Amino acid sequence: MMKTPPINPSLGIFPKSWSEEYAGRIPGNIPIWVGILAELTEFALFFVAYFIAKFYYPDIFSQGPQSLHTSLGVANTIILLTSSYFMAKAMSFIRIDNIIKCERYLWLAFSCGCIYLIIKTWEFNWNSLQGFGPSTNEFFTVYYYMTFNHFIHVGWASCAILWVIFRLRNNAYSSQEYSGLEALAVYWHMIDLMWILIFPLVYVLR
Amino acid sequence: MKAIQMMKNLGQLEYFLVALIAITLLNTFLGEKFSSATLVCILIALTVTYKGFIVIDHFMELKHANRNLRFLMKCYFVIFPSLIIVSAFY
Repeated sequence: MMKTPPINPSLGIFPKSWSEEYAGRIPGNIPIWVGILAELTEFALFFVAYFIAKFYYPDIFSQGPQSLHTSLGVANTIILLTSSYFMAKAMSFIRIDNIIKCERYLWLAFSCGCIYLIIKTWEFNWNSLQGFGPSTNEFFTVYYYMTFNHFIHVGWASCAILWVIFRLRNNAYSSQEYSGLEALAVYWHMIDLMWILIFPLVYVLR
Repeated sequence: MKAIQMMKNLGQLEYFLVALIAITLLNTFLGEKFSSATLVCILIALTVTYKGFIVIDHFMELKHANRNLRFLMKCYFVIFPSLIIVSAFY
């Protein structure tokens, strides 16, 4: 009689050394990391496009940042870094079952997301008033591709914070089970990381 | 016990936030004052790597989590800042 092989609970497509048992725990959950790695790939393509375009049009890319409102870029960088800090604090408080403080920090992170979106909209409008748009030159095309894409990410991640706050209020998270909240936190930090790279490329480097 | 230790470590987050903001302001100052200097590009690239590593290790909390994910994330913040350095020599 043929022996039935034991059921493998994992997909069985990854080497054993990649498992949580060997490599360490995965913050959040696997689906959010699939999403994060996909997003990182998408932004990587934007960054590669930036460097290729800069190679072919060095003068345009040297003058480009001087046409932008640098103060707004700096303000948004500080706001996103602070939002990441608030998110990390929210994570600290869920681990000790302090739901009230966790929610407070999530609202602060959400507020930062909203302020970022307002400033970015203001900046796009300011660019428009100066006569700059996506088709002005190669620098502005890359600038709009990168920053508008990032803008959309901050927008939907801010909506996700509202969803997590709703779930938190319905006692979905505790010190024992907070993977959903942690998934949002790592996604939010990924968005912050992308801005850390975008900021010097479009506002600082000449 | 683990939770108490985490609360004690909270001070670290404030320190890292201040460091990240200070580096951002320094980068902006360097970019504004010293245009097209290769040394400035290298300095900015190194600080971007440092900022990325801080967020990955301490805000994203990957320092004591899955080492493969941490490696991938850190690679990202080595590759693209390296391209910044390369682009300084265009």
